[in-house]
Amino acid sequence: MQQMKRLLDIYVALQALFALSRCFSDGEPGPVAGSQSNGDRFKIEGRASVPGVKTQDWISTALILVEGEEYVGFLKTDGSFAVNDVPSGSYVVEIVSPSFRFDPIRVDITSKGKMRARLVNHIKTSEVIRQPYPLQIRSSGPHTYFMKRETWGWTDFLMNPMVMMMVLPLLIIVLLPKVVNTNDPEMRKEMEQSMNMLNPNPELPDVSEFMTKLFSKGSSKSGGGNKGSRSVALKRR
Amino acid sequence: MAWLVVRLAISVSLLYAASAVFEDQVGKFDWRQQFIGKVRFALFDTHSQASKKLLVATDKNVFASLNSRTGDLFWRHVDKTGPEGHIDALLMYGQDAVVVVGNGRLLRSWETTVGGLKWETVLDTGSFQAAALVGVQDLVKYVAVLKKSAISLHDLSSGSQIWVENLPDSDSVQYQTIYSGGNGVVFVLGVVPNSHIVIVEYKIEDGEIMNKKSVEAVWMSSLESSCAVVSSGILLCVDQITQSLYTLPLQSAEQTEMRQIHLQMLDLEVVSGFRPVLTSTQPNPAQPPLSEFFLQLSPDHHILLQFIDGLIAPLRDFNPSYLAAFATSGERTVAAVMSPKNDTACSINLFSADTGRRHLDTTIIYHMDPNGGKPNRLYVHAFLKKDDSVGYRVMVQTEDLTLTFLQQPGRVVWMREEALADVVTMEMVDLPFTGTQAELEGEFGKKAAIQDGLLPMVLKRLSSQFILLQAWLAHLWKLFYDARKPHSSVKNDVTIDILSRDEFNLQKMMLMVTASGKLFGIDSKSGTILWKQYLENIQPNSVFKLIVQRTTAHFPHPPQCTLLIKNKDTGLGSLYVFNPIFGKKSQISVPALPRPVIQTLLLPVIDQDYAKVLLLIDDQYKVTAFPSTKNVLQQLQDTASSIFFYLVDSSQGKLSGFRLRKDLSTELIWEVVIPTEVQEIVAVKGKRANEHVHSQGRVMGDRSVLYKYLNPNLLAVITESTDTHQERSFVGIFLIDGVTGRIVHEAVQRKARGPVHFVHSENWVVYVYWNSKFRRNEFSVLELFEGAELYNSTVFSSLDRPYAPQVLQQSYIFPAPINTLEATLTEKGITSRHLLVGLPSGNILSLPKMFLDPRRPELVSEQSREENLIPYAPEMPIREEWFINYNQTVSRVRGIYTAPSGLESTCLVVAYGLDIYQTRVFPSKQFDVLKDDYDYILISSVLFGLFFATMISKRLAEVKLLNRAWR
Repeated sequence: MQQMKRLLDIYVALQALFALSRCFSDGEPGPVAGSQSNGDRFKIEGRASVPGVKTQDWISTALILVEGEEYVGFLKTDGSFAVNDVPSGSYVVEIVSPSFRFDPIRVDITSKGKMRARLVNHIKTSEVIRQPYPLQIRSSGPHTYFMKRETWGWTDFLMNPMVMMMVLPLLIIVLLPKVVNTNDPEMRKEMEQSMNMLNPNPELPDVSEFMTKLFSKGSSKSGGGNKGSRSVALKRR
Repeated sequence: MAWLVVRLAISVSLLYAASAVFEDQVGKFDWRQQFIGKVRFALFDTHSQASKKLLVATDKNVFASLNSRTGDLFWRHVDKTGPEGHIDALLMYGQDAVVVVGNGRLLRSWETTVGGLKWETVLDTGSFQAAALVGVQDLVKYVAVLKKSAISLHDLSSGSQIWVENLPDSDSVQYQTIYSGGNGVVFVLGVVPNSHIVIVEYKIEDGEIMNKKSVEAVWMSSLESSCAVVSSGILLCVDQITQSLYTLPLQSAEQTEMRQIHLQMLDLEVVSGFRPVLTSTQPNPAQPPLSEFFLQLSPDHHILLQFIDGLIAPLRDFNPSYLAAFATSGERTVAAVMSPKNDTACSINLFSADTGRRHLDTTIIYHMDPNGGKPNRLYVHAFLKKDDSVGYRVMVQTEDLTLTFLQQPGRVVWMREEALADVVTMEMVDLPFTGTQAELEGEFGKKAAIQDGLLPMVLKRLSSQFILLQAWLAHLWKLFYDARKPHSSVKNDVTIDILSRDEFNLQKMMLMVTASGKLFGIDSKSGTILWKQYLENIQPNSVFKLIVQRTTAHFPHPPQCTLLIKNKDTGLGSLYVFNPIFGKKSQISVPALPRPVIQTLLLPVIDQDYAKVLLLIDDQYKVTAFPSTKNVLQQLQDTASSIFFYLVDSSQGKLSGFRLRKDLSTELIWEVVIPTEVQEIVAVKGKRANEHVHSQGRVMGDRSVLYKYLNPNLLAVITESTDTHQERSFVGIFLIDGVTGRIVHEAVQRKARGPVHFVHSENWVVYVYWNSKFRRNEFSVLELFEGAELYNSTVFSSLDRPYAPQVLQQSYIFPAPINTLEATLTEKGITSRHLLVGLPSGNILSLPKMFLDPRRPELVSEQSREENLIPYAPEMPIREEWFINYNQTVSRVRGIYTAPSGLESTCLVVAYGLDIYQTRVFPSKQFDVLKDDYDYILISSVLFGLFFATMISKRLAEVKLLNRAWR
């Protein structure tokens, strides 16, 4: 509430500023409620278009709403429209269509029937950014109602850092022996040395061996397998 | 710092955008049905033989084009509600349909193939009387509109006004009809009741009055329906008092008196008290009407008559007959007559209009719905067959607003339940278990089981297992059987018998009460109507309240719903008790309600049959209990001291609280008067009884807990100022404890006016009002907290509350108008809440409650970030991804109903207005089930891949081992 109040204060100040720059001298049109009695009714006119789409494909589902459902208008076959019997006041005119998006426009009608169209700004309500009148409303494209599903693709999979971390060492393991000539006895010696360094105890079963044992013996001896694994872990440490 | 805040806001909003619909979910668990309302005018497009168009205008101010083969909508235009959008007349010529709207205010021409407006003209003020197409030399060029004091002629192609003329003596003469026979003149017929008829003749070209005459007719009170123009401009009237027909040639100047033909001479008689109706037909507006016409003598007696050379001859007598209508195809005009066949069926036959001879093999049998109303309108679509005989289809409208489209020999092509265009209230009821599930339940449920001993229990167990096995095998067999059938024929025909509760209780029975007094039971999964029941003798201004007294949980007791029907003017009510699953009326005796009911109360007290007790309070504060067995009365006596209720009298601005006494009388405990001179009470809402709150408090950034003020007796009272001036109007909200009458909180929104929509739930109230100063809608949220400590953590008592709650409030701008507001509801209340906002555009916005949190900080601090609070922004965002009904818009959404499902993550939502839309929402995503897009293929391929990889590596390892052993 506090914020609201502060904001309102700011806007009141802004309003005073804008009053200077206004081209419309008579300011805000009269009260919206209760103005029906004066009897003068006006017409809001305009034209709506959807770029690249024929009018007959969308007008049958579209509707012009003035200030909610206060006044309702329909689109003509050429895309133009007129909302009749609107008393003076300030209204938000909106074209409603289930398939296309249109931006609302505020239309001010003075008691003399002078019209002005401007952008809707709910925060700075008195700011005037003029729009052409009769209204020219262009659709900004189809509605985007749906979220994109996260699709699974090979590229996404491969670009995953975890996968990269796993795949690259694998490649090195597989490809390195091919690159290095293993037939060279010196090299073999060197490698064996390094292997021995890595694996100090040659009697120790390696992990793959252990896994195969585990699978071949089945679940009945899994207890023993577990023990083995523990010992491996211990020895490795 | 700033960018951090922005990033946080973005990440939070992204997190919450996830409640949107995915494109592949379209139609998976949601459906929409579109309605039009009660048909007032229906015209078949006879322009071309192949045309499938059926144009309808309804009492809901809807103008639509239906596909007459399927009953689906081609297009539909929904005008403003109320008299300003009321469709007065519908005329059709060729591709164009001319509609008079708003008591003759607007004249519109529609291009019927596209569904777009051709032209629109504003007419002068004056109440609408009649409209007619006017033709000159076999060509229809104009449309004439008759107002109370003027007649105007408009061009049919452009809508421009040709001429407008004031009617002579319009203050004394009631001009009612227009007639044009294509000979260059328009006749306007008026009547001075019980005195004379006035006939004015206008020239089409310039509106000059060619002729004006008055003919004496003392017996006449109104021209409508008792008069018709037949043959070449003969005015024909019928009068039930003198039992006569009167004729008058419109054009002849010399005849100044109507010729009287006694009905007795034709051996006819009008039933006393019935207003006879004359129906003539004018197939082409540029030519005079036919000389044949129908005369209805009683509700079930029509007669086809012919007017030749000043004489009237009966062609065929239809006794009994309910409805009769003319239809024209090409040059041939036929008459279709509906007559009763037996108690449940009617037969419709076709007769040639000029001779009255019956066409052979044209009978259509119309079966009346035993739970429906009587047929009251008949629309005939005649067409020429290849062998040049006349074929026809009919559309029958019944009292309960069912539209049935039939073709020979009685096949129902389609059916529309237009009563559903006006749903007043609804409930969702769990479906029952299947027989097998119930059998299992029975095994444990029966008290006798305990005394049975071991062996019988084992046997029972075995038998129920056997039944389960049997059911499973039957299910498998059905699956196999269905799989063999071609895919198209396996259409899910949902019937009540096969319906049962699903695993997660996502499928429920929707009970809908419509304004016309028709009840519907609809399957929430598919939208199929499972049962319907038309309650006759419902006053048009009735209010309904639907109460679920017993759910399906109490097998073998059937579920029970009670509908309270109350006359708005007198307040007198009646109860209708029924089974919500089958729609059958219950045999339970219902208490008589001799006095107006002003409040109803559903107590948690249950009788021995597990039905909740309903208390009805009448205008003398007497309480009637239903059911009122001894058991119930005993329980009521025991608990009377803790039963409180409140009454609202908005005309006196009085809220009062009462307590029940042991003898079922009441005592006044508190009274709050809100002076009506300043403001009036517009709405009072408590919390929903089936609402669960999971967490008692909120964990703050510093790890302390802010406890919620969860008062189940709290009432939110909304008031509006009586002064509507924009500077002085205001909206007030009072939070009142319903037991003690204590005003817990009070807030006023200045320079604001209604309509106010609000939701009251948990410890918060959200309300929307119109800010008349800045001309925008604003949301305001009130949240109540007890503070850092709970006063009494075990039980909440309104009577023992020494400390007032802390109230936090914040307001936001909402950049769109609002039609209705509701909050999501889940089984245990763990899932975060969303607000469902019905917009005039027909979209339903799912707005996270997180955005309506009065603790949203202006400046972000470490603590607020810890709490996941979104920084305050004055304008509420509206994102298209939040529209839960994507392009399936709900026209004129009037209410949203939410119900929990068996899954905590899922809330069932039904939005109703002109259309009905059902869907599921997942406010915190689907955290308790696998996602829709769960990739079974990936997971199984990875599993198999790993499996094979181990196999291969095993083999490789063996080889390696062997090699090593050889070394």
